[in-house]
Amino acid sequence: MPTVEIDPDELRDLSGHEEKDDDELKDDLFGLGLEFEGRTEAGAFELEFAPDRLDRLSVEGVARSLRYQYGDARGVHVPGTNSPEWTIRVDDSVPEERPYVTGAVIRDVNLDEEGLESLIQLQEKLHATMGRKRAKGAIGIHDLTMLKGAAVTDTESNPTIEYVGVEPDEDRFVPLDSDAELTPAEVLEEHQTGRTYADLVSEYERYPAIYDDLGLFSFPPVINGRRTEVSTDSRDLFVEMTGTDQWTIDKMLTIVCYALAARGATIEDVVVEYADHELHRPDLSTKTKTVAHDRIETILGIGLDPEEVIDLAERSGLDAERSENKDGDLVYEVTIPPYRVDVLHPLDVIDDLGRAYGFNDLEPKYPDVGTVGGRHERSRLERSVREQLVGLGFEDLLNFHMISEEANYERVDVSPDAAVYGAGKPATIKGPYSEDFTMLRTWVTPSLLMVLERNTHRAYPQDLAEIGFTAAVDDGENTGIAERRRVGAVLASHEAGYEDAKARLQALCRRFDVDLETPPTDHPTYISGRTASVVIDGEDVGVIGELHPRVLVEHDLEVPVAGFEFDLAALQ
Amino acid sequence: MQLPASQVAVLEAVNADEATAVDALAAATELPPETVTGAVFELEDEGLVAVSERTDETIDLTDEGRAYADEALPELRLYEAALEAGAGDEPVQMGQVIGRSGLEGPQVDIALSNYARKGYGAIDSGEITADPDADPDADPEANALEILADTGETAPDAVEVGDETVEGLESRGLLERSESILREVTLTERGVTELMAGLETAETVGQVTPELLTSGEWDDVEFAEYNVEADAERFEGGNVHILRQTAERVKDVLVGMGFQEMEGPHVDADFWINDCLFMPQDHPARTHWDRFALAEPTHIDELPADLIADVERAHREGVGPDGEGYHSPWDADFARALALRGHTTSLSTRYLSGEQIGEIEPPARYFSVEKVYRNDTLDPTHLLEFFQIEGWVMAEDLSVRDLMGTFEEFYAQFGITDIEFKPHYNPYTEPSFELFGTHPTTGELVEIGNSGIFREEMLEPLGVDCDVMAWGLALERLLMLMYGFEDIRDIHGTLCDLELLRNTEVTY
Repeated sequence: MPTVEIDPDELRDLSGHEEKDDDELKDDLFGLGLEFEGRTEAGAFELEFAPDRLDRLSVEGVARSLRYQYGDARGVHVPGTNSPEWTIRVDDSVPEERPYVTGAVIRDVNLDEEGLESLIQLQEKLHATMGRKRAKGAIGIHDLTMLKGAAVTDTESNPTIEYVGVEPDEDRFVPLDSDAELTPAEVLEEHQTGRTYADLVSEYERYPAIYDDLGLFSFPPVINGRRTEVSTDSRDLFVEMTGTDQWTIDKMLTIVCYALAARGATIEDVVVEYADHELHRPDLSTKTKTVAHDRIETILGIGLDPEEVIDLAERSGLDAERSENKDGDLVYEVTIPPYRVDVLHPLDVIDDLGRAYGFNDLEPKYPDVGTVGGRHERSRLERSVREQLVGLGFEDLLNFHMISEEANYERVDVSPDAAVYGAGKPATIKGPYSEDFTMLRTWVTPSLLMVLERNTHRAYPQDLAEIGFTAAVDDGENTGIAERRRVGAVLASHEAGYEDAKARLQALCRRFDVDLETPPTDHPTYISGRTASVVIDGEDVGVIGELHPRVLVEHDLEVPVAGFEFDLAALQ
Repeated sequence: MQLPASQVAVLEAVNADEATAVDALAAATELPPETVTGAVFELEDEGLVAVSERTDETIDLTDEGRAYADEALPELRLYEAALEAGAGDEPVQMGQVIGRSGLEGPQVDIALSNYARKGYGAIDSGEITADPDADPDADPEANALEILADTGETAPDAVEVGDETVEGLESRGLLERSESILREVTLTERGVTELMAGLETAETVGQVTPELLTSGEWDDVEFAEYNVEADAERFEGGNVHILRQTAERVKDVLVGMGFQEMEGPHVDADFWINDCLFMPQDHPARTHWDRFALAEPTHIDELPADLIADVERAHREGVGPDGEGYHSPWDADFARALALRGHTTSLSTRYLSGEQIGEIEPPARYFSVEKVYRNDTLDPTHLLEFFQIEGWVMAEDLSVRDLMGTFEEFYAQFGITDIEFKPHYNPYTEPSFELFGTHPTTGELVEIGNSGIFREEMLEPLGVDCDVMAWGLALERLLMLMYGFEDIRDIHGTLCDLELLRNTEVTY
């Protein structure tokens, strides 16, 4: 889960509760679902959070939530905005892969060191979450005083900046953390940040770029230009966001605007001019969800007065108004503030009401619903076979379903396409975690041999069995894979031999009332002349034999091993 | 009559008219006394002999007594030296006499303290006199020493030593009395009869054999004794893997609570694993490297077309008049990609949709305890494969209280009480809760599961129009809580330690 760093002093300041000590703050934050994980070197809280409330990615948003929790704030608050001066014009040359842009102007911002750090953190956290590592949305924040509106051809027109697409080496600019003038293509090769995000745009024919009258000042989603870098001296900011989805970047912008407004800044609209339509941003409009009173009561499992519901909503930072639906049932028209990106459905509102009520204050009850329990047939069969195996003296094992090609095939002298039991085309893992786990095992015996190999210092006899999952490619299956449970067993001791293995297999088959035949066969894992097919009720379903010395030596074993393996379903 | 060899020997050595002591029997039979004693009791039980017991007193010289028997009592040596020094006539200086006697150390005191008492003379002011009429040869103590040195341990009345002398020697530490129980055995009339009829010897046996049992011989044989306290050779036998035992126990509990078991593919389409769970396709968990995608094969052949359309609509537009979808891409081909399931909720979506066993009517409870796969860092508490306990309840109007109550009942079965619910976020449930439980031994608060009420955006496309509450937790976590294992790799997988598995306490 993501973490966010919050300075407790700033939190006290912004929430208006100087008197709260650190422990009280931690408790209050836990109530919001923000778990204290530790402190940074600078003493800030490291808080872990579930990624739904992205409006709490910075100290300003967390402070706002605390104010609702403390009852210092109620209902929906939307900051006012001033009329637009600036325009972002979207040029036809913009890369089709990243066609969307949004923006806002922030005036009279008072950024001290902490404020600036908080803004940078918010930007990074939004990139990591909603922005999907900048692929879906990327934020650029600039010092407005360094921008010059493009030449005004029409006196009515605003100062304008342009979102365009450029050839990779068409233009040059000095990126952040650099002294050299580079082309966008050079940034991707030579600049550290450029290399990090190169994959996002390297396939584009034209790269996204933002211009003012003085030239290229931002290369989204990779890096800003140095000219417009924000510092603690910056008073007015220009915020732009580009991405693959308008809603996503608009919501990211809303969250940034709310954070800066909390620090006393004034928000000024920006006009976003597309070829066929025009937007005024930021979009701070609220939305409404109709929530049925009855549904609130059934989900929370308690009865509530309408006044109580409205109170809970306001304490959650929502507004609720009583209403009736067309059937005359009591409902609430609930207003959702624009920074909430997680409210998709009335159920999300009910969750908010439950949190405000206190879920842990609800009395648990066992549902008054009668059902009949039971296990499925394979599960019952597996249990019975396991019980029999244990009764026959086997130690039941539990091995991984993933294995390496080497262990599954090579070390037991089986090739995937051999016509022998246990072979089969492997279902393979893409980008495996380790070379020990590259495929799903096609049979169980290799896993048992690995356990013997690992336990040569332990007392013998080692009579091991596993009823295990196996899988192999099978075009006849919908998933392209046949998943099968197999019964594998090995007997390892100084006296182990075919006879012992056969005796136990016979006992097992007798108990399940199936006919067992063991016609001789050849199998590379076993000694020739001491190997047989396991034929149950006339079907060839497995193999039994003494393990070949080559296989034993390969597994560092110094005792003979006999064993068998067959399909669990044969006992059904 | 057939008797064990030792009993036959004893019986033959006893007499009908004269009691024989056990020691004597031991000597006669050449058997150890304890064997004879055992045999005597067995024979007494059979009524073949009568046993009388008496307590016998014996006396014997101590080492000191034996030494004086050899070299004369110190007072006699003093008397002899005194006579030689002329103390028979007039008092002689003590030092002169002692020097002449050769007495040393404590023997001097012993000699002096007994000299006058026994009338050998007088000692006064450092001078010693000797009574020339005293008769050392008549000294009863000296004589007794001589006798007892010859007889060795003996009954007091078997020797000509007076009681006073015995007491005197005992008080001087020259003689010891001891008591022993003496068993004397006489042959009974029945014993005589059986002896006349003839006895056969039964042998001791080590093993109960079929012949012994069928012939009835077992009644006559004596079984060789074992050292029953010694450790036996180690035996392993079969045992069920501890994680399986725990899984079985979980299954028992859930079946008892009315849950039916689910099963289904381990390798499944992302559609069933994620899309049906209302997980947006650009959700970090779906593109993240912790997912085990398959290189071969890559895609499922068929998915129900209607369901694909309904799921896509829910993702794009949401569900219900006020619903909203995700602002994320959605592609059917992406949904068809195969992966090792990261949770068994893929089984829940298959069952809820009717794909697996047809339509399920509420009320219903379902569960599975099956493997899931996460491409996570392998460490003592994280495996790439582990068991998830999945469960859901389908009914009209379920509340979060029902969810909490179900959990409390379930965990109470494992001794985990005081469940706490932390409001949480999952894309597919609302409200959602992480569950914390108190460790039964350490008292620590530990995360034990994740739960919630399935969202309508998930249920509506699946064709479910009532409530479903659901949860999942790691079985290994439960096991570690119950047993305090520190490294799960010792238990699960090919790196397992057989010794640990063999020595783990069973669960029930």
